Amino acid sequence: MSGALARARATAGAALLAAVTIAWAALPAAGARPGLRVALVVAVASAVASLAHLAIGEAEIGGDPFDPLVVRVAAEAVRLVRVPPWSEVMIIATLTLEALHRSRPWHTGVLGVALLAYLLTAHLAQTSPRPGTLRPQLPVLAAGLGLLILAVGAAALPRPPAGSAAELLRVLAVIAAVLAGGLALPTTRRPDHRP
Amino acid sequence: MTAAGSVTAAGAGPAAGPRSGAAGAAQARRVSWSLSAHARRLLTLALTGLVIAVLTGRPEFAGVAAPAVVLLACWPVRRPGSVTVAVRASARQLVEGEQAAIIAEISGHGDLAVQASIRTAPACSAGPPADRAAASRAAPAPGASVSLRVPFQAHHWGIRRIGRLEIVLRDRFRLSEGRVSVELPRIECHPLPAPLRGRIVLSRLPSRLGEHPSRTLGEGIEFAGVRQFVPGDRQRRINWPATTRSGTVQLNTFTAERTQNVVILADATANVGDPGATSLDLAFRAAAGTINCYLAAGDRVGLVVYTDRLSWIGPGLGRRHFHRLMDLLLASQRSEGQSASLAGLTRLPRAALPPGALIVVFSPLLQPRLVEALRDLRERGFSVLVVDVLTAAPPRSRDRVAALAQRIWRLEQQAIRFSLTELGIPVVHWDGRQSLDEPLAPYTRRVMLTGRT
Repeated sequence: MSGALARARATAGAALLAAVTIAWAALPAAGARPGLRVALVVAVASAVASLAHLAIGEAEIGGDPFDPLVVRVAAEAVRLVRVPPWSEVMIIATLTLEALHRSRPWHTGVLGVALLAYLLTAHLAQTSPRPGTLRPQLPVLAAGLGLLILAVGAAALPRPPAGSAAELLRVLAVIAAVLAGGLALPTTRRPDHRP
Repeated sequence: MTAAGSVTAAGAGPAAGPRSGAAGAAQARRVSWSLSAHARRLLTLALTGLVIAVLTGRPEFAGVAAPAVVLLACWPVRRPGSVTVAVRASARQLVEGEQAAIIAEISGHGDLAVQASIRTAPACSAGPPADRAAASRAAPAPGASVSLRVPFQAHHWGIRRIGRLEIVLRDRFRLSEGRVSVELPRIECHPLPAPLRGRIVLSRLPSRLGEHPSRTLGEGIEFAGVRQFVPGDRQRRINWPATTRSGTVQLNTFTAERTQNVVILADATANVGDPGATSLDLAFRAAAGTINCYLAAGDRVGLVVYTDRLSWIGPGLGRRHFHRLMDLLLASQRSEGQSASLAGLTRLPRAALPPGALIVVFSPLLQPRLVEALRDLRERGFSVLVVDVLTAAPPRSRDRVAALAQRIWRLEQQAIRFSLTELGIPVVHWDGRQSLDEPLAPYTRRVMLTGRT
């Protein structure tokens, strides 16, 4: 019972984070590029579907050839919720929503943290509701968040008037810094003890 | 000594049921690895962030991708190609609704977290998955194993598949998942015995020591009367008050205590009614309860399963005999769906029916051949009692012809029961919800007369 309660709590937390993330990325609607409404609809729909997937879990519905129509329709709906990668669609739609706005580095940084929190909560709801299972990831996540702050800080610096080539170089430099940071971190791999 | 046999339309055949092992030897199982849903989502976040950063020229999106990129870059890739799994069930034989557990011993997984769950077959349900978290930073001992216990429950009698055991291995970052699937052993789920306390005792019992007081005098403990002392009688049985009153030495007499032979006849020719409470379910549950009750009283109990073939085990005693009878009940399930006809088999074999046995029949009385067989049993002098387990009827219809057909069917059913009662075969009805004592009360409160009426 306590396991089911913890799982329900994690699902509710994921729902809250999804709502906050989408709202944070979509607002303010004024001044955004065209396509905001489409991206918002896709983000909301995929968030609802992915949360439904989390709530249903792996519970089996129907399966008997003599099931009544209602059960068969429910089983088909569950299959539709389970098969497509709704969470991934939601991530893409949310980042697209943010990209449709003008540049606002700190706002985007907060969105990145919220998205990461959503991913971790969804993972807990899906596999194990014990937050302790995420402990091994925490040092690496902290390093990643440090890089996020560095990148956002770099983006927030006043930029000199320059052409698009200079901007692209700046982006590539940040990406290279992120990748180098990732590779430079000490890995947790240990020697293999198996014969 | 007990006798067992089986008759089919074609001839004789074995009646022994299948015995599938509940324990499995440890076997190396191949692990199929894939990205976890968590890793796929992180990968999506990383790629989308980097692509948007390049396309829009906004470095903050590269920052959004940073935690996911770092996490994926630090992914500890340790994937054993196979693990050793030994699976066994905590109980091989269950009763409907009883809970047991699958115990899985897994080794060769290293420091990976292990989770085990059961993907159940129909008529079974499983408890929550069992898991063991990833090992701490200390390296695990080579060959260390983990034991996981996943509860399950069988809801319907029969020789059942439990389902498959799904084992999931996860690394410390939970980015990859290795899956192993193991077919679980079959279990024997016995019908839930119907509650029965009272026993029907015949007036004439075979001369075998038992627990039922008989009409004849003997060495039991049930007081029968007083008679005059004759030389050779045991002095400890002298009734002193009667001796004082009459002036001659009087002696207490006691009844002999005998056992009786009981044959349970379970009719498996029809299976009608709501799922979980069909006539076959009720017949088998009632048969199991009756077998339990009479064996507990020290009686000798036999079983005849009447289906598209006839199988039986002669009367016997003890716990081991109980399991033999249960095996016969479960084995009858295998012949379901066969179309072999028993046309003409209206006489039950003598080997299955010891003389003077009490025969308790559990049947929906839908098979005319069985009704003929009961009539024949009565004519052969057996004491027969029928427990009617029919709880379903054809659905009501507004159609005049269908309503007429239903009425005719009801009249036929009434006629069958009436004709059996007229022959001296009591017919009682049991609906499966109440105790079996209620319908059998008129026959358990007094001795049931044997012989023809």
